[in-house]
Amino acid sequence: MLDQGFAELLSTFVPRARQPITDDLRLRDAGLDSLHSIDLLLAIEEKYDIEFPAHLLTDATFETAGSLWSSVAKILASAAAGTRAVDRHHG
Amino acid sequence: MVDTSTEPKQANELWRRLTATSWIRELYRDGNPAHGLNATVLRALFTYLDDNESVGTTLGICVQSTTALPLLAAARRDESALDPLSVIADAVLAGKQMVGLAATDDTPGSNLTTLATTVTIDDERVILSGRKKWIANAVFASHLLVLARQRAGSAFTNFTWVVVPTDAPGVTVEAVPAPLFAGSGTGHATFRDVTLPLAYLGGPVGRGLIDFASHICVERLASAMWGHAMCARVLRETVDYLRQRGQGPANLWGKEEIRRRIAKCLISTTLLDILLDRCQHDILDRHDSLSASLVKATAADTVEEVLSVTSHLQGARAFIDGGLQTLRAQAGLWSIGGGTYEVMLSTIAAHADHLLGEAS
Repeated sequence: MLDQGFAELLSTFVPRARQPITDDLRLRDAGLDSLHSIDLLLAIEEKYDIEFPAHLLTDATFETAGSLWSSVAKILASAAAGTRAVDRHHG
Repeated sequence: MVDTSTEPKQANELWRRLTATSWIRELYRDGNPAHGLNATVLRALFTYLDDNESVGTTLGICVQSTTALPLLAAARRDESALDPLSVIADAVLAGKQMVGLAATDDTPGSNLTTLATTVTIDDERVILSGRKKWIANAVFASHLLVLARQRAGSAFTNFTWVVVPTDAPGVTVEAVPAPLFAGSGTGHATFRDVTLPLAYLGGPVGRGLIDFASHICVERLASAMWGHAMCARVLRETVDYLRQRGQGPANLWGKEEIRRRIAKCLISTTLLDILLDRCQHDILDRHDSLSASLVKATAADTVEEVLSVTSHLQGARAFIDGGLQTLRAQAGLWSIGGGTYEVMLSTIAAHADHLLGEAS
């Protein structure tokens, strides 16, 4: 299930895609070429204050809206776990 | 301010002099090239360079200050002497070394996803092979930032930066005879199985095109600011010239037809100025590719229009050594360097829905 803020951000990059955007939206079919993909990735990194790790910089990550959100969610979860670990360490 | 008593001929000499002043420190937020650039200082710097330096020398400073050094600084793993990228970035920031940005291959520069330079990465080392062309500062550079593919295919995640010492075995740099850009140190480079430790990877594997896209936006903004400064300067010089041609109201500046031609140039130059003000923070803060394409394409059109009109109005004077006709030929740079005019138009067209939605 896509996060609403993520879906709204994604919709600005694929404005002609069927709304609401669903997990199975194939990004390339929706007009997301390499140039747009880079812009989208930079916008996601700015919005969520994250950086995509090398192992997630693959075609599979950018295949569908769902696969992309799944990668973002993993990065956010990993960052949150890291923060909790730091909090415990300093607590 | 920089001492202008002796005219620098080479970008590396000018860079050394600029780093000895407050210009470069103040150009970067917190004095750190990885933290982004200050819009006011960036504009003042390129206005100063346009006033005082050659096109070639300024080109070398433009690429190094807005793209190559920020990319290198952002790729640092830490700020210790154990990280070679940190050592190199510090040396460049101190004016002791130059770094070149080697993105364009033998393949068309307008589509970097087709580039053929390869990097093989294992647990201990990287091996780089290929050829890069049209590298500003290549002949001055101690290191080149080389964009290479670590995987076959056109996906944007297939590319990675490698920081290559120009004296490493397998590296050859040749100067390009380009008199219009004298002082830029432009050259081509060949890499034959250049083997380096992993520490010379210029950032995470797979982020090469991503980091290029975000940093080249700033170079496009800088070149548009430089173009605006050039247009304003040339228009000032031309109006002064027209006022001196003929006597009293009969001078050329008194002719309505000529005044209207200059007025059209003033409109274009003013529109570029307004666009720069509107877009500069989106580019510097968000690396917005649409804004960067808008300012760069507009600058290319404006530079072409202003130099075409003013060089014509200056007549035979424009053909003297270093005159406006030479500058007009050099200004072809605005349609090619840092991304071609056509690439800018394609980017703008790709954002048509966004632009039209914003306008409605």
